[in-house]
Amino acid sequence: MNTLTKRKIQNKVALSLSVLAAAIGLFWLFFILWDVFRHGLSFITPDLFTKDPVPPGFEGGGLRNAFVGQMLITLVAMVIGIPIGVLGGTFLSEYGRHSKLGRFISTLSDIMVSVPSIVIGTFVYAIMVKPIGHFNGWAGGVALAIIMIPVVIRTTEDMMSLVPWSLREAAFALGAPYYKVITQVVYRGAATGIFTGILLSIARVAGETAPLLFTSFNNSFFTTNLNDSTPSLTVTIFQYAMGPYDDWHGMAWAAALVITVAILFITIAGRLLIKWRYRS
Amino acid sequence: MGIYFPPISLGFGKSNMANRNPIDYRDKIFKTMTFAAAMMVLVLIAGIFFSLVKQAVPAISKFGFFRFISTATWDPVHEVFGAAASLYGTIVTTVLAMSIAIPVSIGIAIFMTELCPNFLKSAMGTAIELLAAIPSIIYGMWGLFTLAPIMGDTVEPFLQQTIGRVPYLGSLFSGTPLGIDILTASTILSIMIIPFMASIARDTFNLTPQVLRESAYGIGATRWEVIRNVVIPYSRKGVLGGIVIAMGRALGETMAVAFVLGNKHEIAHSLLDASATITVTLANEFTEADSDIYMASLFYLAVILFVMSFLTLAAAKFLLKEKIES
Repeated sequence: MNTLTKRKIQNKVALSLSVLAAAIGLFWLFFILWDVFRHGLSFITPDLFTKDPVPPGFEGGGLRNAFVGQMLITLVAMVIGIPIGVLGGTFLSEYGRHSKLGRFISTLSDIMVSVPSIVIGTFVYAIMVKPIGHFNGWAGGVALAIIMIPVVIRTTEDMMSLVPWSLREAAFALGAPYYKVITQVVYRGAATGIFTGILLSIARVAGETAPLLFTSFNNSFFTTNLNDSTPSLTVTIFQYAMGPYDDWHGMAWAAALVITVAILFITIAGRLLIKWRYRS
Repeated sequence: MGIYFPPISLGFGKSNMANRNPIDYRDKIFKTMTFAAAMMVLVLIAGIFFSLVKQAVPAISKFGFFRFISTATWDPVHEVFGAAASLYGTIVTTVLAMSIAIPVSIGIAIFMTELCPNFLKSAMGTAIELLAAIPSIIYGMWGLFTLAPIMGDTVEPFLQQTIGRVPYLGSLFSGTPLGIDILTASTILSIMIIPFMASIARDTFNLTPQVLRESAYGIGATRWEVIRNVVIPYSRKGVLGGIVIAMGRALGETMAVAFVLGNKHEIAHSLLDASATITVTLANEFTEADSDIYMASLFYLAVILFVMSFLTLAAAKFLLKEKIES
């Protein structure tokens, strides 16, 4: 066998392996999605969204409490997380973009995006559950907000620095103060990007379980009182999937399907939005 | 890039503009608001560290550092706590997951940058992104109901029949294959981190100048030789950064492993044993801790996990930054 054939064979083998790797990645994706659909679909009924859980052993029931609780907790997270994230990102891309502190905070937020979410759960437990003495929905919202902030900060910063400097200069030339330039020129230019970043951060926290385990905990009753422990879809999935009853498992699959579809939908929408906005 | 830099650095010193225009106190207010929001990141990270340490003080003073991390006993009844078993579980599952995920994700990145026809590129990119977007609880649940039975009934007995017969190596696969064990947990963990690694590797591969590739092709290199001798050396640091980021994620992953690891506080000798990681211990026991020292020990674990993943991620940032600047 001459060298050329050997090299050609080597080439073929290596490239086939990389195709195989791509196939493995896709295989897992479809395997997981198909499984969630297959198990979850038959348990998606109107009751799932309109009824509260019944004690194990009884027929029927739904997860209305968990859907409502999840929305409330996520809403609290959004109300806290989005303003802080957008304003912080504004500082990093505008006022603080050349300062050492600004760069340092930007790096820290990058790191914080990946800090284990369970650690954030223990932190919020220490500051908001232990002093109060019982689990509460607010703590869950704050935990999710803490996860949200660095995500929003980083995307806001990136999207704002994509706005061309000449636009800002034009506004400065008209005598606009910097805050006006930011709110009326830069924010407008970066609006789609910032919005997408916010969408993706919501998708990110909507699937979080670990930080809710010891903050908002769980509740098998319907509640809108965030001072009480508040149910969430994810913690309910954890509890039901680990539980011994078959209809609990079914409900867990159904909740998993709902949450997966919602998150994948938001992610794809965000991706399309970015593509559409920055298509050139 | 603009030549005009608005006269604002960081400090709260007077800016020229504010001097000239009295209504511009609004600019100061806005600037202070954004500054305060950005400082939240700093405050949160410091707050997490100090409040966790504060909560952990009873355990730190009772067990010390080296004794805590080298003791494998985790006994709530006699109130003797050590992190060795959880640490061991964390490290073993992470290392095993990495060794499955690294080749696969580099393969995916090669496929996406060098082989994939253009019309498939964006579909492939979306698929990888979706894999990253699936919440970890879904991975965990899927692992418990689907993957664990497959592993326990088919894969693990097969491994025992084959590799299990090899001397020395075989002891890694001893025990009863139940599916709730380190091997299953690491497999799920590897699926979770593949998208992170693959997308960073793809991005750094894409940074390789086309001219370099073309000159290699010009002297007659095959596609694989171009990848191995040009693209990979050029993007070494970026890929390494991606690997380290994925490692940081794997260290702190909770829900994906909580379902299938079994929370057993023993140093497992076989990959088919149940085990515990720091995250699994926290998830399972935090709400059950009934004594102060038990609680403090759990907080101690959280501190260790926080510092470990923070340092790992900082190292990754450093590697990736160097890549961009050089």
